[in-house]
Amino acid sequence: MNAFLIALIAIAGLTLVKATPLIFAALGGVLSERSGVVNVGLEGIMIGGAFAAVGVSGATGSPWLGASAGVLAGALLAALLAFVATKLGYDQIVAGTGLNIAALGAAAFGLVLVFGQPGASREVPAFGAVGETALTVLALALAAALSLFLNRTPWGLRVRACGENPRAAAAAGIDPVRTRFWAVVAGGAIAALGGVFLSLAELDLYSDGMTAGRGFIALAAVIFGRWTPFGATGAALFFGFFSALQYTLQRAGIPSELMQALPYLAALVALAGLAGRVRAPASDGLPYAGTPVRPSSGMTHASSAEWPRDRP
Amino acid sequence: MATFFRLRIVRDLGIALIVVFGAGSIAMLLAHVSPVDGFYALFDGAFGTTSEFAETLVSATALLFPALGVALAFRAGLFNIGAEGQLVLGGLAAGVTGVLLPGPPVVSIVATLLAGALAGGLWGGIAGFLKSRFGANEVIATLMLNVIAGLLATYAVDGPLHFASANEGETPLLAKTAWLPAIVPDTRLTISIVIALLLALVLWFAFNRTVFGFELRAAGGAPEAARRAGVDLRRIALQAMTYSGAIAGLGGATLVTGVLHRFNTGLSPGYGFVAIAVALVGNLEPVWIAVAAFAFGILQNGALSMQAEASVPRDVVNVIEGLVIIALAGRRYIAAQRTT
Amino acid sequence: MSEPLLALRGIRKRFGTVQALDGVDLDLNAGEIHALVGENGAGKSTLAAIAFGAEIPDEGRLETKAVVGLVHQHFQLVDRLNVWENVLLGREPKRGWRIDRVAARERVRALATGHGLDVDPDAIVETLPIGVQQRVELLRELERAPGVLLLDEPTAALAPTEIASFFRTITALARSGTAVLIVTHKLQEVIDYSTRVTVMRSGRVVARYVTTATSTGEIARAMVGGELPPLAERAPTTPATRLRARNLSAGSSGGLVDGTFEVRAGEIVGVAGVEGNGQSALADALAGVISYTGTIELDGVPLTAAVTPAARLASGVRVIPQDRRTEALVLGWSIAENVALGRHQTAPIRRGSILDRAAVLAAAKDVIERFGVRPSDPQTAVAALSGGNQQKIVVGRALGAQPKLLVAYQPTRGIDVGAAALVRSRLIEARNAGVAVLLISFELDEIFALADRVLVMSGGRFVGTFDRATVDRGRVGALMAGGR
Repeated sequence: MNAFLIALIAIAGLTLVKATPLIFAALGGVLSERSGVVNVGLEGIMIGGAFAAVGVSGATGSPWLGASAGVLAGALLAALLAFVATKLGYDQIVAGTGLNIAALGAAAFGLVLVFGQPGASREVPAFGAVGETALTVLALALAAALSLFLNRTPWGLRVRACGENPRAAAAAGIDPVRTRFWAVVAGGAIAALGGVFLSLAELDLYSDGMTAGRGFIALAAVIFGRWTPFGATGAALFFGFFSALQYTLQRAGIPSELMQALPYLAALVALAGLAGRVRAPASDGLPYAGTPVRPSSGMTHASSAEWPRDRP
Repeated sequence: MATFFRLRIVRDLGIALIVVFGAGSIAMLLAHVSPVDGFYALFDGAFGTTSEFAETLVSATALLFPALGVALAFRAGLFNIGAEGQLVLGGLAAGVTGVLLPGPPVVSIVATLLAGALAGGLWGGIAGFLKSRFGANEVIATLMLNVIAGLLATYAVDGPLHFASANEGETPLLAKTAWLPAIVPDTRLTISIVIALLLALVLWFAFNRTVFGFELRAAGGAPEAARRAGVDLRRIALQAMTYSGAIAGLGGATLVTGVLHRFNTGLSPGYGFVAIAVALVGNLEPVWIAVAAFAFGILQNGALSMQAEASVPRDVVNVIEGLVIIALAGRRYIAAQRTT
Repeated sequence: MSEPLLALRGIRKRFGTVQALDGVDLDLNAGEIHALVGENGAGKSTLAAIAFGAEIPDEGRLETKAVVGLVHQHFQLVDRLNVWENVLLGREPKRGWRIDRVAARERVRALATGHGLDVDPDAIVETLPIGVQQRVELLRELERAPGVLLLDEPTAALAPTEIASFFRTITALARSGTAVLIVTHKLQEVIDYSTRVTVMRSGRVVARYVTTATSTGEIARAMVGGELPPLAERAPTTPATRLRARNLSAGSSGGLVDGTFEVRAGEIVGVAGVEGNGQSALADALAGVISYTGTIELDGVPLTAAVTPAARLASGVRVIPQDRRTEALVLGWSIAENVALGRHQTAPIRRGSILDRAAVLAAAKDVIERFGVRPSDPQTAVAALSGGNQQKIVVGRALGAQPKLLVAYQPTRGIDVGAAALVRSRLIEARNAGVAVLLISFELDEIFALADRVLVMSGGRFVGTFDRATVDRGRVGALMAGGR
């Protein structure tokens, strides 16, 4: 009985470890998609976060500085996607795919530049057990914070409005382009923490393609979580559980590749089961193509707008 | 109307070129290499000698197959991000068939290529089935299937499909009769380029002259209008993803039978993803895609030279390709890309 | 005379090749209800959008010191949020960093009661009937205490009783000093409720009236610029039953319930009703796009209840859908390819697995000629055509397929007067030639102009039948509103 309990606790712990990067990425995805932008580039953002964290930690000796650099890198990568998707109104899925390819390439490029060798970096100062636990706790806390943000605060309400009907938001005086831009950037910063966890908490180095498709699983988690922070976290834990199972079952002689494939298979099965029964934010994935609304609001001074302005 | 089309192509090509040279130069400077040296090494490596040029065409062909597949799915309104996995499994099927099936060359070659197309078609068909039957998002489905395909191939080639005479992660050499004949002696350029170009022509004809192509384009252009006009959207989704996968699988098969002469898990350095860029630069038109594949073949092949001669890591090319995709994401081809 | 609360001077606006507004002046004074009328495409909605600030004109001046509110024709509400979230979006009462929900509810409740509007602040908008949704949109604008309120086709989706209640609210608003602009094409409402009328045609102001000094006839003539081209003659026909529907039920809430009716060859049956009373379910069931219970027989042969538009097309049923841009046309294609769409599965356009390009071109040229499509090059991209020309293609290709039954759902929606008259004439000519036409329209005038028989729909059911000779407008209106 005791051995069973120990095994259970071990799996639970492993589940949390495996789920944490997914939670970060999924929360970033939720924030982005609730504002109306599909972020297929989560994978690339996690890579960017993972690499930047290792690079800076190696250079400065501080994993905390490394983590901050990772967050910054994620925000910057997300900003590129955000700019293209919101200000330019480009196709979000195509742009996100491009971001993944570019980020992967940039990280591989960076490996050679910074560490002088392809494939993997050397070991760098990383988070110990305390830091790892702290990050996991942070992930769960962020889920709660994001939920509060979306459902209780004015800015969260505006984000949700932009994701459902940006024209309505514009009619109410909100700028959907700016709201979406910052939602995507913030989402990228959060998602990058997932990459930081992978490279500085679970391991202590960066290796090519170490995210192994987790950014895509996070996308699936967003859908299964019905675009809510707690739901996505639950889905991430579910997928993390399958990852954790992999180690236990491996000793039972089941091939490791099958185990590694479990989370992705689970995602496929759930995708088939859930499709059509869940509703994304109504304007998710659709660029906003209206003009920014400036309702005439005289208030205390006369508003006399004259066009065209540049005529002599 | 025709002039308008050409204008857009020219403008987009211009954007692509700016990205290539601009981003490439920045990256080269970061690597402490002068852009002049870097790009010279790139182009010299792509065109310098006959064998290098042949190798460029080999890269172009490797990209052309999955790009045609991606474009077909895209025209039907579906994002096939899974060309990489379909390509790998196609290569695996071809590799195994090629080892097991000695016989007269024609039979052997046809059988291996067919096996590759079938495997790729099956893999694409899974995503097509999920979409058609359940309405499952094909972006996520193909992304998941990509990873699963890679794992499946790795497991299979060292497991149930392992041959005693082979090293880890690959099959033994294919039977000589299954090798694609080279069209330029002493190079890796085989008839696969002919097959690819023929396929591009076939697709052009299919899109523009056949009822199937008409319905496919209608489904992508205005699904609701297509539905009311009698187009069976579910059938189109399944067919499009299956054919798309089959074409990508065929590409993997030609890599195995023509270039490597065996299956290896490292078969593709991401051709299935770069193919997306190729399809976009080619504006989803088969003939232009062939031109785009040539351009990207230059990048891919030249990059190796660039790394060897000018010490610029070849991953620069991936960065450039990704940025090109982003830069061209403004084009709208299908109804699914509408705005609000 | 006191200064207008809002003044527009010399407004010009162009969309692509269309000059939507061509030098428009407009004044809005406090306390007036100002009607802005014109046919579709006259520029009214664009002008309202400019006055609100949602569109920027190419040239011109907007002068106002007031807060301007706009209630859109198609509501701009966030369906998944509730009433107070929609009303207070962007101006949420706060308590620290949170929204003060109690205050929010109270504010909305007080606002609604103050204007005599009955609405539940916590209701989710998508669960509300259209008339109530409009109240929410109205409240959102009223919350900002606008000096100027713009309303774009506010009564399009309202039943007659709701319309009366709506105007009570508006009149009270005007009396309290707000300047109200109503964009509309319903001339009777203009006469009944407005104080001044501005008539627009083709982007210009062509007439200004004081309501008490004018009539619907005078306004209509100004809108059209003379008399309308006459509709085609109605030839005598001997109608034989073509379509028989029995106990037809389709769609979920707001759908069709237990419909039994007939349409005969050589007649136009008009289905009158307020939008949202089951018309879409009716059209979709006939088109084979949704599943239904009950039977449909065409020339005595039962149609299968399977959801396949292809089978319907093969049986000789053609549909002109409500929304040509998403349900009928592929905007990125040429005229020729769009004409082929829906006729591509049979000869002569289909030849084995290939499309016969000569046949496609011939069919396209036929439609272009018969309907006067401009520009007339079959390779023109449909997206470059005006709404009227786009609709001509949709109607032309449906009629060109020689259908047995034609379902025309809002066939003249959003197109200019000339194109509308042409489409209506072609429908009559099809009727004369023996086609059975089911006309579903939200414009009573259109129904009365075209139909041999009138069916009235309300709440998903058919609640009345009238012959052309004996139809009574008042009765029809009452039935539409759910009366007896």
